[in-house]
Amino acid sequence: MLKRCIIAENRKLHASPIWVMFFLLPIISAGYGTFNYLQNLEILKDKWYSLWTQHTLFYSMFFFPAMVAVYAAYLWRLEHLGHNWNIIMASPVKPLDLFAAKFVVVAKLALLTHGFVFLLYTFCGKTFAHLPGWPPIELSFFLLRGALGALAVIAAQLVLSMLIRSFAVPVFLALIGGISGILASSKGFALLWPYSLMQAGMNANKSKDVLDGGYGLFIASCVIWLIAMFILADILLKKKDVRA
Amino acid sequence: MKNVIETHNLCKSYHGRMVVDNLNLNVLQGSVYGFIGPNGAGKSTSMKMLLGLTHPTSGSVKLLNQTMNEENRIALLRQTGSLIESPSGYLHLTAKENLSIIAELKGISHKDIDRVLEIVKLTADANRKVGQYSLGMKQRLGIAMALLGKPRLLILDEPTNGLDPAGIQEMRSLIASMPDRTGATILISSHLLSEMEQMVTQVGILNHGKMLFEGPLQELQKHSHGNIQLKVLDVPKSIEVLNRQGIRTTMMQQPNLLELPPLSDEILAVLVRDLAESGAGVVGLTTQTKSLEEIFLSLTQSSGEVA
Repeated sequence: MLKRCIIAENRKLHASPIWVMFFLLPIISAGYGTFNYLQNLEILKDKWYSLWTQHTLFYSMFFFPAMVAVYAAYLWRLEHLGHNWNIIMASPVKPLDLFAAKFVVVAKLALLTHGFVFLLYTFCGKTFAHLPGWPPIELSFFLLRGALGALAVIAAQLVLSMLIRSFAVPVFLALIGGISGILASSKGFALLWPYSLMQAGMNANKSKDVLDGGYGLFIASCVIWLIAMFILADILLKKKDVRA
Repeated sequence: MKNVIETHNLCKSYHGRMVVDNLNLNVLQGSVYGFIGPNGAGKSTSMKMLLGLTHPTSGSVKLLNQTMNEENRIALLRQTGSLIESPSGYLHLTAKENLSIIAELKGISHKDIDRVLEIVKLTADANRKVGQYSLGMKQRLGIAMALLGKPRLLILDEPTNGLDPAGIQEMRSLIASMPDRTGATILISSHLLSEMEQMVTQVGILNHGKMLFEGPLQELQKHSHGNIQLKVLDVPKSIEVLNRQGIRTTMMQQPNLLELPPLSDEILAVLVRDLAESGAGVVGLTTQTKSLEEIFLSLTQSSGEVA
């Protein structure tokens, strides 16, 4: 049943404006990061690592939550508009599968975006910063960790956009979420708050690995937040009346 | 005959206000059931409760002889096609893409898409984006979505909304032919009685969430005996006879024309004889037939049985 829902969800992305966003945001983020790096060469001496912090700092704090929020808001917007809630909820599928399908699609988009970010990072490193060699393999590992942390944010944004009919409000909340993530990290609660998890995973703006030794807790926190959001979504979908 | 839809004291209240009030709906297998009521009567809410989109405050719903609950929901929805608060669809996609999404969700073969497009006459526009469709075309796409997978039960909420007269006519013949063609039972709502008269076999009339009448269309039409217009040569003599028999009479605008309340055939026969004998000179007698609109009005105004 979930597979059918995912196929249906993927089909909705066809000819959708979401792809503009997919290409544009990482390019803006990479351009900004590279510019920052080149302007501050005297203090940023760690070459690929330094470029990484510049690329991912803004990406993981602002661009990424906003982007995931837009993906999530867009997918629910399709249902909020034109009474489509009625069609999907009157389909012979489990309501949670509809949510899970959207989760899979947003996660796929986010993962692709991550790949694209890494590609842009490597490209900028070679072309504009003229860095020697290739990015340390460790960094692609940071990216994977970031993706794991991102899953909790994706689920949270999907719940918000499912409840809030407006497109802009959940995106705005994601920006606040990003800032709250930084605050939580600075107070040492990085592993307790979903919006910090992604930043911690990415190791943005830190030369030392934030997660050094704390993997178990990091993964546990990601999984717990994810399960909590899915349970919340299931309860909401089952108990709330469809307001199309 | 078996009931395909059955509700038992179905209620829905929002913030203490009853929107659907102890609704007992009985839709017979193979029938086209017209669910009629003014806007805001609770038709959409009732239909959404049948489909499990809205949760009843109390009461129960049975579809195809099974209780609509969490356990049976998916099995029942698999045999049900619906169109609620239309029109729907993903505007950035073509009709075909829209239908393939629904086919996927329903878990049915995509081969059925061409068949339903043909039925609603959208084959030629199947590859156009739905955003460019007229309201009528979107409505027909909604019907096509409901028809996908040949469901045994169709629940259609105001499917003729937004259609032009030709479209309404087409939709009527399409819906009226459905039970014979596919064996499907249809529940269809409308706020226009006249639209329903030509396609339904059973009628339920809803107002302020309460069912005012439920039964075969013919039974509703029995209530349609209207006033009687009497044309006479001598009005004073006629009124004398009528008063003697205790029949309330109204003078009409036209001279020599009187209006009498509905009377049984026996009383009417005696009356005509007496009028003739008194020399009133009966020239014409016409029994007015109430339109369904008038019956509906009398039902909704008195909130009870028809007079």
